[in-house]
Amino acid sequence: MERAGSGTTIMMINERSECGATVYVVDDEASVRRALTRLIQSAGYRADAYGAAREFLAQVRPCGPDAGLTPDGSPACVVLDVQMPDLSGLELQRELPASLPIVFLTGHGDIAMTVGALKAGAADFLTKPVRDADLLRAIDDALARSADALRSLRELHELRSRFERLTPREREVMDLVVMGRLNKQVACELGTVEKTVKAHRARVMQKMEVSSLAELVRVADKVARAAAVRNQAQHD
Amino acid sequence: MNIAIFAVANAVAARVNRFVALLLAPALASRPASLLDAQRSIPWNGAAPLLHVSSVTELKPRSRAGGASHAVQRAGWLARVWQALLRRDPATAALDMSDAFAALEYAPVAAIVVDRQGRIARANAQAERLFQYRHCDLAGASAELLVPHLLSTTHERPHPLRTVAQACEQAAVRTREIRAKRRDGSEFPAEVAASKLRYGDGVATLAFVTDRTERYELKRDREELAHLTRVSTLGELAGSLAHELNQPLTAILSNVQAAQRFIDLDPLDLAEVREILKDIVDDSCRASEVIRRIRAFVKKDDLELVRLDVGDVLRDVVQLVHSDAIVRGVHLSVDIDDDLPAVRGDKIQLQQVLLNLLINAFDAMRDCDALERVVTAFAGLDRDGNLRVAIRDRGEGIAPDRVERIFKPFVTSKAQGLGLGLSISRSIVEMHRGRLWAENNTDKGMTFYVVLPPWSAPEAARQS
Repeated sequence: MERAGSGTTIMMINERSECGATVYVVDDEASVRRALTRLIQSAGYRADAYGAAREFLAQVRPCGPDAGLTPDGSPACVVLDVQMPDLSGLELQRELPASLPIVFLTGHGDIAMTVGALKAGAADFLTKPVRDADLLRAIDDALARSADALRSLRELHELRSRFERLTPREREVMDLVVMGRLNKQVACELGTVEKTVKAHRARVMQKMEVSSLAELVRVADKVARAAAVRNQAQHD
Repeated sequence: MNIAIFAVANAVAARVNRFVALLLAPALASRPASLLDAQRSIPWNGAAPLLHVSSVTELKPRSRAGGASHAVQRAGWLARVWQALLRRDPATAALDMSDAFAALEYAPVAAIVVDRQGRIARANAQAERLFQYRHCDLAGASAELLVPHLLSTTHERPHPLRTVAQACEQAAVRTREIRAKRRDGSEFPAEVAASKLRYGDGVATLAFVTDRTERYELKRDREELAHLTRVSTLGELAGSLAHELNQPLTAILSNVQAAQRFIDLDPLDLAEVREILKDIVDDSCRASEVIRRIRAFVKKDDLELVRLDVGDVLRDVVQLVHSDAIVRGVHLSVDIDDDLPAVRGDKIQLQQVLLNLLINAFDAMRDCDALERVVTAFAGLDRDGNLRVAIRDRGEGIAPDRVERIFKPFVTSKAQGLGLGLSISRSIVEMHRGRLWAENNTDKGMTFYVVLPPWSAPEAARQS
């Protein structure tokens, strides 16, 4: 292994601790858990270890308005042994939000399992024993993905709360406008006059914090898609 | 293997029948009157087939595992028949001594007659072949040449028998296992059934000698087969054992790499590094323990009957399958009673039996729902004070009329199985004077039972 000088190591540790990322280690074997936790801490991350997949799940699964977020809202990832006695790694993966990507560790790399995990969004799939460089690189990637997921999640939250400030009439106007209707057509469809529609439209632009029609179309699309996903999740 | 032993027993029985009929034929022709007398005084009909297959199998000692002693029993029986024949008519016995011994030529086993001085009076063709002497070379030679100490043991016993009825008693025939010598000096394991014969005034010793080499080979083959199935069973576990080894290796590597980073820190956290080094030592020991267990299990050793704690044997095996259970999603629970008495047995072979039963139980639940996959292993005492291990699964079970069949060799439900596991397991348990059987549970799945007698000190002393 190429060793960094001690100065760099300390700097690295401080830098990472400040960004507040958490790495969850889930492995049923205490000695492995302890060793991995140490290694991860030595690289400057906050590490939190669990001996059972269900225990971990109960602890981190956010519900209510925070669904999809990590427990403390900052980037996080999971380092997980794929063979857990209580809940398989792939089952656990289905339960976790995209903001909590999993780095799988496995004793023997089974191709089918690897492909399945990666397709389902695993950050990485490493075989035990794992070298620190490989593990830490995978953790870095996973945390970057987590940060991305959190960012878009927050953006969506923001857009949705803006959208919720609209009155029912304003929402109707917005729906028709983003479908490409002219003010005149909107007024006709809603049984009102063009002047009123113009006023509604100005308020929509203001509340949604956009300055052009193109921007409004993009934002409306995002909100609609998130709503669709949420509806589907509720049906499941 | 049982089948093979049975076939051999059949063949030998047929040959002995032919031989005895031949022996009796001249007597029938020349002295019908005395034969009638004889028939009156002898409880069995001499002309009828003397040895049935059933009687060979009945001669077995209580335990079925005693297959190796069949031939001893047969030879001893032959010697007794011989005594009975010679005693039918003591007055004329001396006269047809040579006639009677002439019939020995046709005996399917090596037979020698030794006089009081230890000289060979007669040796049949089988004996010449067995000891590799040329025809007639043996007459007059010392019996010591072939079978050391033959007379010392037969003659030191007082001859208690006077009547025909008593002649059938077992005490008159001494059966021993010794090393006999061929002409070229090479030794071979032999069983000698010897008895003293009284004819007129003379006394001689008739000894039947059976070459035991084959039976030793049979025993060795059986051990070889047991070893092979052990290796193949372990092969099935290879994946999970690799995992078992991988865990400590993972911990060691991560610990070392963490330590490498920690020692660069300022100030150096010595306590942490010390802790890490301790963990590394522990994990190294764990890894070598896994290897030790595997090696002990596949080791090819002679059978070693020692005092064993069945609970420990079960615990060892549970360790071996621990990872396999996790991989297959089987919940394995173990319930071992405290203070169980010891048994006398070979640790590796008993481990093999329990391992086989556990893996079978796992296999039986391959198609079950994840929550149903439960295997329970119990060790405790049964009502008679014997040690009992029960392995219970919650699989499909087996049709009641097929339950006994699964203990037959080459019967298997597995695509990759040889179908030897259960038959070998049963022969191992029976060799330990125990029983192995299976029952369908009343609700779901099956339970396999292994019952072993508890250790008893006097018996252990006698057997060793």
